[in-house]
Amino acid sequence: MAEAVGTEQIVKEIQIGASPETVFGFFTEPDKLVRWLCSEATVDPRPGGVCRQTHYADDGAGPYLMRGEYVEVVPPSRVVFTWGWEGSDMNTPPGSTTVEVTLEQDDAGTRLTLVHRDLPEPARDGHDSGWVHKLERLAVAATGGDPEAR
Amino acid sequence: MQAIIEAIAEPRRREILRLVRATELPAGAIAAHFDDVTRPAVSQHLRTLREAGLVAERRDGTRRLYRARPEGLAGLREFLDGFWDERLDALRREAEIEERRPGGRGGGN
Repeated sequence: MAEAVGTEQIVKEIQIGASPETVFGFFTEPDKLVRWLCSEATVDPRPGGVCRQTHYADDGAGPYLMRGEYVEVVPPSRVVFTWGWEGSDMNTPPGSTTVEVTLEQDDAGTRLTLVHRDLPEPARDGHDSGWVHKLERLAVAATGGDPEAR
Repeated sequence: MQAIIEAIAEPRRREILRLVRATELPAGAIAAHFDDVTRPAVSQHLRTLREAGLVAERRDGTRRLYRARPEGLAGLREFLDGFWDERLDALRREAEIEERRPGGRGGGN
């Protein structure tokens, strides 16, 4: 995985009272994805397989179409997929960001770590060149279509 | 936003953003930087950038001054931060229900 320098990421950690096997299915099975993440899901959970989701905002706005692709699928411990919104008002075109999920068994069940990386957030405090660099990447993704496609 | 993506898809507009990222410049100085772009075209680019929230315009007498607004791209992180908090709460709830389900799916046979 290329690690782009200076890109923003979000890291979340939660504890779940269920086994990693149970939790894992919620990232790879459409009928489980719709129970927590989205309204509709079409998935092919293997590297290179599609991960499409239809989302609605809390106020009913939408649909927002998330188009991604699985990058790693290692039951029951790890799943990685790309994440981007199609033609919506979020500046993350398909293929531009990545969600990495790691599941570790512990006494309580599962410790889940989610890292959403490569976010096109402007760098803070004068990292201006980083910002322009991100614009370039966004522009490539926007004009060249989907860099992750096939 | 679509407007942002379209705004930065044009190389000259990215060049303009670079010019004004650290310094505020009048439209004339920005236009002077380009040999092959007319002044009206530069004005149009600036307008597109401004409408996408990527540059700020300020009037100083008769001049209009421009500078980049990196915060034009902000907001996404805040959105996703709240998004994942909410969704992961739901995941915990649903996974724990699933775990307690008698004969719940154990990941295939």
